[in-house]
Amino acid sequence: MADLTEKLKNISEKIGRDFVKTDLQTVAQYAIDGLTPAAVIFPKNTAEVSDVVKFANQLRLAIVPWGSGSQIRMGNPPRKLDLVVCTRRLNHMLDVDTQNLTITVEAGVKLRDIQARLATEEDRCYLPLEDLNIAADEIICSDRSHSGCFIPLDPPSSEKTTIGGVVAGSASGPRRLLYNLPRDIILGVRFVTPQGDVPGSGGKTVKNVSGYDISKLMVGSMGSLGIITEMTFRLMPLPEKMKTLLLGFDSLDAAHRCVNSILKTKLLPAAVETMTAAAYEHLGFKGAPEFSPGRVAVAISLEAFAPAVDRMQREMLKTAKDHGVLSSAVFDEHKHLQFWLAVSAQDAGFDAAYANLIRAKVNFHISQWKEIFEFADRSLTALKIGHAIRAHSGSGICLINLLMDRGAEGQKQKALAFMEELLQLSRKAGGNTVIQNAPADLKPKLKIWGEAGSDLVAMKLLKQQLDPNDVMSPGRFVGGL
Amino acid sequence: MDKQKLIERLKEIVDPEYVLTTEMDLALYSYDASLDKAKPDVVVLPDSTEQVSKIMALAYKEKIPILGRGSGTNLTGGTIPVKGGIVVHFSRMNRILKLDYENLTATAEPGVITLDLQTRVLKDGFIYQPDPASQKVSTLGGNVGENSGGPHCLKYGVTSNHVQGLEVVLADGTVIQTGGESRDNPGFDLTGLFVGSEGTIGMVTKVILKLEKAPEAVKTMLAIFETIEDGANTVSAIIAEGIIPATLEMMDNTVMRAVEETIKVGYPLDAAAVLIIELDGMPEGMEEKALKIMEICKKNNVREVKLAKNENERTILWAGRKGAFGSVGQVRPSYLCCDGTVPRTKLPEVLSKVIEIGKKYRLPIGNVFHAGDGNLHPLIMFDERDEDEKQRVLKASTEILKLCADAGGTISGEHGVGLEKLKETHFIFNEGDLQLERDIKSAFDADNILNPGKMIPAAESAV
Repeated sequence: MADLTEKLKNISEKIGRDFVKTDLQTVAQYAIDGLTPAAVIFPKNTAEVSDVVKFANQLRLAIVPWGSGSQIRMGNPPRKLDLVVCTRRLNHMLDVDTQNLTITVEAGVKLRDIQARLATEEDRCYLPLEDLNIAADEIICSDRSHSGCFIPLDPPSSEKTTIGGVVAGSASGPRRLLYNLPRDIILGVRFVTPQGDVPGSGGKTVKNVSGYDISKLMVGSMGSLGIITEMTFRLMPLPEKMKTLLLGFDSLDAAHRCVNSILKTKLLPAAVETMTAAAYEHLGFKGAPEFSPGRVAVAISLEAFAPAVDRMQREMLKTAKDHGVLSSAVFDEHKHLQFWLAVSAQDAGFDAAYANLIRAKVNFHISQWKEIFEFADRSLTALKIGHAIRAHSGSGICLINLLMDRGAEGQKQKALAFMEELLQLSRKAGGNTVIQNAPADLKPKLKIWGEAGSDLVAMKLLKQQLDPNDVMSPGRFVGGL
Repeated sequence: MDKQKLIERLKEIVDPEYVLTTEMDLALYSYDASLDKAKPDVVVLPDSTEQVSKIMALAYKEKIPILGRGSGTNLTGGTIPVKGGIVVHFSRMNRILKLDYENLTATAEPGVITLDLQTRVLKDGFIYQPDPASQKVSTLGGNVGENSGGPHCLKYGVTSNHVQGLEVVLADGTVIQTGGESRDNPGFDLTGLFVGSEGTIGMVTKVILKLEKAPEAVKTMLAIFETIEDGANTVSAIIAEGIIPATLEMMDNTVMRAVEETIKVGYPLDAAAVLIIELDGMPEGMEEKALKIMEICKKNNVREVKLAKNENERTILWAGRKGAFGSVGQVRPSYLCCDGTVPRTKLPEVLSKVIEIGKKYRLPIGNVFHAGDGNLHPLIMFDERDEDEKQRVLKASTEILKLCADAGGTISGEHGVGLEKLKETHFIFNEGDLQLERDIKSAFDADNILNPGKMIPAAESAV
């Protein structure tokens, strides 16, 4: 290690001593699954990232890229960890072209800063800016374009996540129902390869079939093929009207019937989020005081032309009534934004509050959400493990948080058996189960990325070709890649 | 392996009647909708993934070039066997395997005709969005290979946005499944990588497509302009207003004339350009948006805006657009369609330069294109038998693509690179970008047998 410290001087000289941190206090903050890096490096642009990666590749050092750290608990424990490369200083918006509805940004730009930049003159924005507690020293774009558009993404931790993190983790949220996934809105990418080269792909046109679609390959690649440094996305005009419907039901059956009849209509909600009462209560949302979630709450996001929102509200409330809704609440604009921000912040809140938290993201055939939801709720209740479940109904995704605190050793063992059952059930429902967070000691006993499919062989071919020295996030991804 | 032996081995894999070897057969598979030609050694029509896998394994072992094709409608030479070898034609693998409306997916074999699937699901109230103009003939496998576009991509995205999973046969015959019937399968987005890979890294044997509920309402308008510039400015202005129509298609006078000579749809022959504007979705708010669009058109000096009053009128408006490429054959026997794409605000400037290029090379150029997403389709019309004219066409095409690249756009929006645009890749990629593509290619195809000579220029040709 002393040897490495000596060698790090080279890189310190290149990018500045202040930006290569080796002190114990700093490196400890960047530990991953119990492994502490020898150094944390803060390059300021793509060229510097390239310098760092070339250096690491020469010495066969292992790198894990880091944005805001909001998804760093995902993945297998790294096989090896020498350097954390933090994208925090790559925080420039390179091309904000609202007329063409595209934006090009560096990886360390925060999602909220992009939304703020795209807000209207009256600060109408896709995030509730005044609720974000943005510290004065943090960069927020002063040069507003007043365009009234937004980047159609609502990943977890929308208030702090970096855009590079959203893309590398293919992070999505409830409103993917209407706006789809990061893969669907990315138009171009530039990244630093494991050898330190800086290729690009795609561009700023929505249609582009010149060469392989490497942007999509990089989305969700979890830092295992390189460090994404620049991305271009398509934007959307801000919805004319935004509204939330909250519906409380006394049983999952009733909620399920109501949700399914809504999804069968031609109406186009932005999100249909079904959650256990515990998940709702944990949101700590103060905006609907009269609302009682019952046993299962359904939150529907409506984002469209004003008359369409009004019609959806009318028809969906009627459907809810037909299915025996216990309680309902409707709110718009600012409260709407606050509510969905709270949903987005929930998982990070759990991560911070529960030392032994396990979170699974289950995917499955769209029609199967009730089976997965019901199985998890019933099993975890029987095991006396506190839990919060949310399903992106209509998208075939369910998020299951096992709220286990320090010292819950007995529960942890039971949780392992539950996770295995959940995995098998999700396989039967045509999907898989990914563990988004688990205590470091449990990770080796869990199938973090679910069960590998027949395409693992192709993933290995790619990884070996592009990262022969296993420099980038070694061991963290699917199949131990 | 000698050719006769190869044919015998293939006849052991598929029924001998589906191994085509006569000169006539080979000639039929020597071209597509582009200008190049080259004959394969043999054509084979498999009926199952298993057969495709065996054919691939044979090609792999013997290092024989191999490529898959559907109807051959592609415009850049993607299905021309420039190195000979085996052409795998998917016409027999044309079954729709599963329509799962609860899961909003359709699973099909690659030889299914795009429109057949669309017609089938529309009966049940669902829609598969990508609508390349060739949808009546093109196959799903071809659409996936080329990542096809179409008018509705403006709002709904290209083929890649609607493919959720694939079954792929790798070079050595291994069969893999990427993505799946569920969203968000863990791992690299190989589906995203294979879509648009022009058959250079694997052969697709099954596609899992995303379906959507068919829109409740559709409103189609035809706006008539005295100048192309007014039309192009209208396009940007509509989107700047926060309205994303389902389509924004433009046609110039040259193309309208050609259309009127073949399919009479009643386009105004004295106008410079028309825009076909279509809104879809929930009907609420649509009327208001249509009025807003008319207002924008007026601000940009529109002569007249016609609204399709019923489905019949809508079909007529579209018939002209869909038949435009075919109609252009009336003007001259051949055409070359450039597929350059630019940020939409650059349209007026780029279009006027395209006209200049036509004048410079003494070639008639018609424009019929996806204006909303900046995807130009200048059709350069000529007679293939006139060698001098053909050379001028190629020069003009390169110049147009350079123009698009320099305007911040790209050389292909939806037709692919294929053979035709190999040298133009240098307009948008540097050697490092291309090297990454070569690395990806060699990860899957170290022996370079999969559709060799396409999409990525060889390293030494770099200038």
